[in-house]
Amino acid sequence: MPVLRPAQEEIMDYPGGRMGISAVPGSGKTWTLSLLAADLIYRGVLKEDQEILIVTLVNSAVDNFYQRISGFVKSSGLLPNIGYRVRTLHGLAHDIVRERPALLGLENNFQIIDDREADFLRSDIAQAWLNSHPDVLDEYFDPEVDESRREWLRREQLPKLIKDIATSFIGHAKDRQLHPDQLKTVLQNLPLPLPLAQMGWEMYANYQRALAYRGAVDFDDLIRLALQALDSDAGLLDRLRRQWPYILEDEAQDSSWLQEQILRTLAGPDGNWVRVGDPNQAIYETFTTANPVYLRNFMSEPGVIRRQLPNSGRSTYSIIRLANYLVEWTQHEHPTSAVRDALQSPPSIEPTPLDDPQPNPPDELSYIHLSLRKFSPAEEVQAIVKSLEQWLPEHNDSTVAVLAPRNQRAFDLVDELRKRQIPYHDGMLRSSSSTRFSAGSLANLLRYLADPQSSSKLATAYKVWRRSDRAEEAAKARLEQNVELLRKIGRVEDFIWPGPQADWLEESGLAQADPETYAQLIEFRQLVRRWQSAILLPVDQIVLTISQDLLSEPPELAIAHKLAVLLRRASTDHPGWHLPELAGELAVIARNERRFLGFSEDDSGFDPDKHRGKVVVATMHKAKGLEWDRVYLMSVNNYDFPSGFIKDVFMSEKRYIRDHLNLEAETLAQLDAALTTNEYEWYQEGQETQHARLEYIRERLRLLYVGITRAKKELIVTWNTGRQGEMQPAVPLVALEAFQGGFEGGDA
Amino acid sequence: MSTLNAAQRSIVKKPANTSVFLEGPAGSGKTTAGIARLQHLLNAGVTGSSILILVPQRTLGAPYADALRNPGLPPGGLPSLLTVGGLAQRMVELFWPLAAEAAGFAYPNQPPIFLTMETAQYYMARLVQPMLEEGAFDGVTIERNRLFSQILDNLNKAAVVGFPYTEIGPRLKSAWSGEPTQLRIYEDAQACATRFREYCLAHNLLDFSLQLDVFRQYLWPNASCHTYLLETFQHLIYDNIEEDTPVAHDLVQDWLPHLRSALLIYDSEAGYRSFLGADPQSAYALKEHCQEHAAFARSLVSSVEIQSLTASLGQYLVHGIESPGEIDPRPAIAYEYQRFYPEMLDWVAQQIAALVHEEELPPGEIVVLAPFLSDALRFALVNRLEALGVPARSHRPSRSLREEPAVQCLLTLAMLAHPEWGFQPTRFDVTYALMQAISGLDLVRAQLLADIAYTIHQGQPTLSSFSQIIPDTQDRITYRMGERYEHLRAWLLDYQHNPQAADLDHFFSLLFGEVLSQPGFGFHASYDAGQVTANLVESIQKFRWVAGAGLAQAGIPLGKEYIDMVQKGVIAAQYIQSWQLQAEDAVLLAPAYTFLLGNRPASVQFWLDVGSRSWAERLFQPLTHPHVLSRHWQPGVTWGDADEVEANQQVLHHLATGLLRRCRQQVYLGLSELGEQGYEQRGPLLHTYQRVLQGLVNQFEQGEG
Repeated sequence: MPVLRPAQEEIMDYPGGRMGISAVPGSGKTWTLSLLAADLIYRGVLKEDQEILIVTLVNSAVDNFYQRISGFVKSSGLLPNIGYRVRTLHGLAHDIVRERPALLGLENNFQIIDDREADFLRSDIAQAWLNSHPDVLDEYFDPEVDESRREWLRREQLPKLIKDIATSFIGHAKDRQLHPDQLKTVLQNLPLPLPLAQMGWEMYANYQRALAYRGAVDFDDLIRLALQALDSDAGLLDRLRRQWPYILEDEAQDSSWLQEQILRTLAGPDGNWVRVGDPNQAIYETFTTANPVYLRNFMSEPGVIRRQLPNSGRSTYSIIRLANYLVEWTQHEHPTSAVRDALQSPPSIEPTPLDDPQPNPPDELSYIHLSLRKFSPAEEVQAIVKSLEQWLPEHNDSTVAVLAPRNQRAFDLVDELRKRQIPYHDGMLRSSSSTRFSAGSLANLLRYLADPQSSSKLATAYKVWRRSDRAEEAAKARLEQNVELLRKIGRVEDFIWPGPQADWLEESGLAQADPETYAQLIEFRQLVRRWQSAILLPVDQIVLTISQDLLSEPPELAIAHKLAVLLRRASTDHPGWHLPELAGELAVIARNERRFLGFSEDDSGFDPDKHRGKVVVATMHKAKGLEWDRVYLMSVNNYDFPSGFIKDVFMSEKRYIRDHLNLEAETLAQLDAALTTNEYEWYQEGQETQHARLEYIRERLRLLYVGITRAKKELIVTWNTGRQGEMQPAVPLVALEAFQGGFEGGDA
Repeated sequence: MSTLNAAQRSIVKKPANTSVFLEGPAGSGKTTAGIARLQHLLNAGVTGSSILILVPQRTLGAPYADALRNPGLPPGGLPSLLTVGGLAQRMVELFWPLAAEAAGFAYPNQPPIFLTMETAQYYMARLVQPMLEEGAFDGVTIERNRLFSQILDNLNKAAVVGFPYTEIGPRLKSAWSGEPTQLRIYEDAQACATRFREYCLAHNLLDFSLQLDVFRQYLWPNASCHTYLLETFQHLIYDNIEEDTPVAHDLVQDWLPHLRSALLIYDSEAGYRSFLGADPQSAYALKEHCQEHAAFARSLVSSVEIQSLTASLGQYLVHGIESPGEIDPRPAIAYEYQRFYPEMLDWVAQQIAALVHEEELPPGEIVVLAPFLSDALRFALVNRLEALGVPARSHRPSRSLREEPAVQCLLTLAMLAHPEWGFQPTRFDVTYALMQAISGLDLVRAQLLADIAYTIHQGQPTLSSFSQIIPDTQDRITYRMGERYEHLRAWLLDYQHNPQAADLDHFFSLLFGEVLSQPGFGFHASYDAGQVTANLVESIQKFRWVAGAGLAQAGIPLGKEYIDMVQKGVIAAQYIQSWQLQAEDAVLLAPAYTFLLGNRPASVQFWLDVGSRSWAERLFQPLTHPHVLSRHWQPGVTWGDADEVEANQQVLHHLATGLLRRCRQQVYLGLSELGEQGYEQRGPLLHTYQRVLQGLVNQFEQGEG
């Protein structure tokens, strides 16, 4: 067994039952939980066929757990992959539902649509709702807004707002396990109408209908149905309880009520359930159903063993001190006293003990710069880029990230980095590209095969084939030139299948003028001919044939294989479909079903060390769990980090809505009101908007805390005045700067 | 006889007036003994025609059929090799007048029409279609043809288990514990079954279930038929009785006291056809009706390592414990973990190539097995093997006829020649048909031609003349291709205007002979295309035999109906026996069950998708349920989680040991972390292997260091 810190020793002494562990950033939650799993296996607590169930938040963590546990298990001389199962909550729910789908009215091979596809659906539904109820939201417009502007708002702004409302409404209704039918009954029997709840219900009903039509469930349904299966089938529940006598849960602060309920049910009243989390890092809950309160409540339940993981070897002492100060300041000095519970201690972050295998970086390497200088948004970007320009050449072996509160700010920075030709990595700003890439490429090729006379589709096919050329400037130029060349072919047959009279390639003169292009085009022609003759095969075989020519990476080939199977199913279901329909289906599939696939890079986790000498640009949310030598936090102003002052502007309160109402929050409040059994609790307009403000302020404080604790040695924080020039530095930033100044005697 | 062991010899030499019950696992030499017994009887002067060889399914009779072809057999009548269904059909045919009226057929004086699985599906489709349009089966997502076949399957289950077909729905409903909407689906399934049975009785049609019912209820009890059978057959060899149905077992039980000799052969670990009604329990009950009992235990097929592995897996699956034997089976197992599915396929192909090229193992001694063989898997693996110079074959029973490109080409041309039938092939269909029909016409030009020449005129598909195309485009298509196109078009037009226009099979024969097989056309000198055409012609002729009279009466052109049914997938390639001629000495790719029921061992087995749940899972059949419709189901009990788990465990046990019993030397496990669909693979077979391996590590490596 590796050397353990005293706090870790205490956790390893786990005697069974319920245990809650509060951890701090960088304290090795995953490592400790993995070790605990391995230790339990080693102790021999498992009977035949039993497994330790490890539940975590995201796919990348799943891999991480597997690797670590199998490392520990192997070092104890046991076979890996036996005795434990790592799942995200959605993966676990999928496992449970998959046990007996028929009982839940699902087919064996039911489909799961991912968030992105679900979002498309909700957009459509929101738009349709708006079209049929164009005036329902009128009473919420700010009276100052005139009719012509209202018209514009209905067209440009309301669809997005209504979709957001639908999203949170549906999520919350599912979290409460409410079926649209039940909700309908509730709403019909109200003494007073609740128009927003009514709107939410209508969209929810339409959304479920759209899912049923596709024979699909969404991620929330998966959780809901899993719990339903456990509740309704005692035999299944007994079996699963036997199978998983120990449940270890990571990132428990981001659990929703329903998710917690699944684990609670699986663990049973006397079960073994260990929950690890850092409530200070709960940053997913705004309008989602996640809430750190559930973890906090769990910790205070009777019989729960409480443990801490306070030591972190990640950051220098100065950075730790700054992060701890943010907690302390929030608890005691935050100007809005209602949010002083946003950050909790104990535990505070403590450095690792002497002789620890993960010593903290020496403090002399520390550099903290909290800038209160007033920048416009553009100036802020310039300042950061300039700083990077100076720093990067001398730190090619270091890791650095710029973290923004929102995607848009991050993209602004990426634009500037590109202009200045500073190496950067912006992959974290985009969703998994690998799947879509390969499915999209195949779709493009199918589109060409469906229309083989089209020179522009042929050119696109060529672009797909030579896609790696895009990475390098010279090759890229040639690629573009050749694409143009192909696009202009008048008669495609004269290139692909030339006759004795007309041979486009020979007549082009490329053989002499550009032998390399000539050779490429000959190769391309061979491929196209082969693909064309594959066209009589069933679609799965077309796809496999093409992908063997086009792809070489195992994950890409694996996706292609899966796509082949899916397309085959689609073509069996729709015997009349030809290539254009199938290409369209491919585009739909491309957006789908990604969360369970181990196919994309971001599933195997982001590793900052692989991007040394490059600027990683990401949002603070996405940076959770990661660390860099140097970290820039940008846009730390009162818009992204409000504190409850009069001047603060809240993103969720639209300027065109009267009384600063947050309609998303008000809709949820109406849902709550409709469901309440307490006759003294009734919906009061505006109350929930205030609540939502406080929740938002809390979440943003934690987000700042997460941002700060990403830095190992160096931290730079800046703010900007916003587009209108009216924003202020965030209050916590000012407080931190004052605190830091006390140590340094002024701006560094 | 000299190659038989003592145990086998003792069975063979039993006196010709004994009934023997022989049991043992697969590979212990039971069937070999059965065949030797057959030869012994014949050599001892028993008349061949008095011997009945009964098997549950035709493939299982193959070893006997081979033996009967042996020219060394003594002269005289040949023994009959039949299934109980075959026997029933033969008796119904012979004794039709004795049963037809009593059984409720509308025209007892007219001959019966026997339906194959396919033609039964055809009628089922016609009957169920209107019900579907009225909303039957709403809420269940299932492919139409699977729906039809499951309703037929229910009728068959009632017949082979021996309960009235009217109880199908009530039985299924009483066992259901899930979503209440499913109850209505079962009611619909019952309604369809009833409607089908009534239609059959009204039209003298007999599907499998009705043949068996008529035989069991009206002919077997009938003195004439009974006496005929008892007099005809005095010796019975009944193999693989565990794969046969309760009704078959009832029949044999009745029969046994009247037979001079009988040999019943029971595989103690099988029962793979239980999803088709096989009942090992009722098979085993026949033991007490036999005078002598014998058992073989020793495997003549598997190496000691494979036997040891079989024992370990079996122990674990039955008792949940790992108790390895004295022999370490690990040399017989090879595996490698891959992350992605195609990587696993690469590994499998490379291992096979090494076995064939380096160790000179005949490809026919290698099988690749998976619980479920998707077409993509088949294609991907066959391609890889071909690239490595290894011949491969694969059995694809359910391949749809419409997927054969040559068939599609012929059907499209038939639609063009019969515009009055109202089919409107798409532009793509016409493009692909022209590309195949005309030699040298590439895809680009075929599409160009179809774009211009093919139109739907007043609802009818029309091809216009090449000469009407503007010269510039003619030039692009080339005059040579235009000439061929014109020849084809003129032929189709001629045919269309020929008042003597015959049926579709005749059309295809003419089209093939006069155009497509000629130089310049796509089927010229293509053996495959010729075979496809011949098969298609045969398929239509069979279709006419069953449906022709009815269609003529209704005034529906047979060809039109046939094309319609192919397009809907109702008529599949099952019609066609020798669809693809395949090399015998080739690596076989097969679903695990197909391999088991083929009952031929192989030296090396590759098990793919070891992590898949499907190894232990019955196929989801929303309209039927093999256990609830079996003889052992207690009415009124619901089918719960524990039942499902236990059934799955048993399925896995039978499957895994059955495969290993048919393996001589080596098992390769194809393991990919992510399955074909990208999901993590953690099925029970993987789990079992891991446990067994862990037990082996503990046993054989303890004390070694």
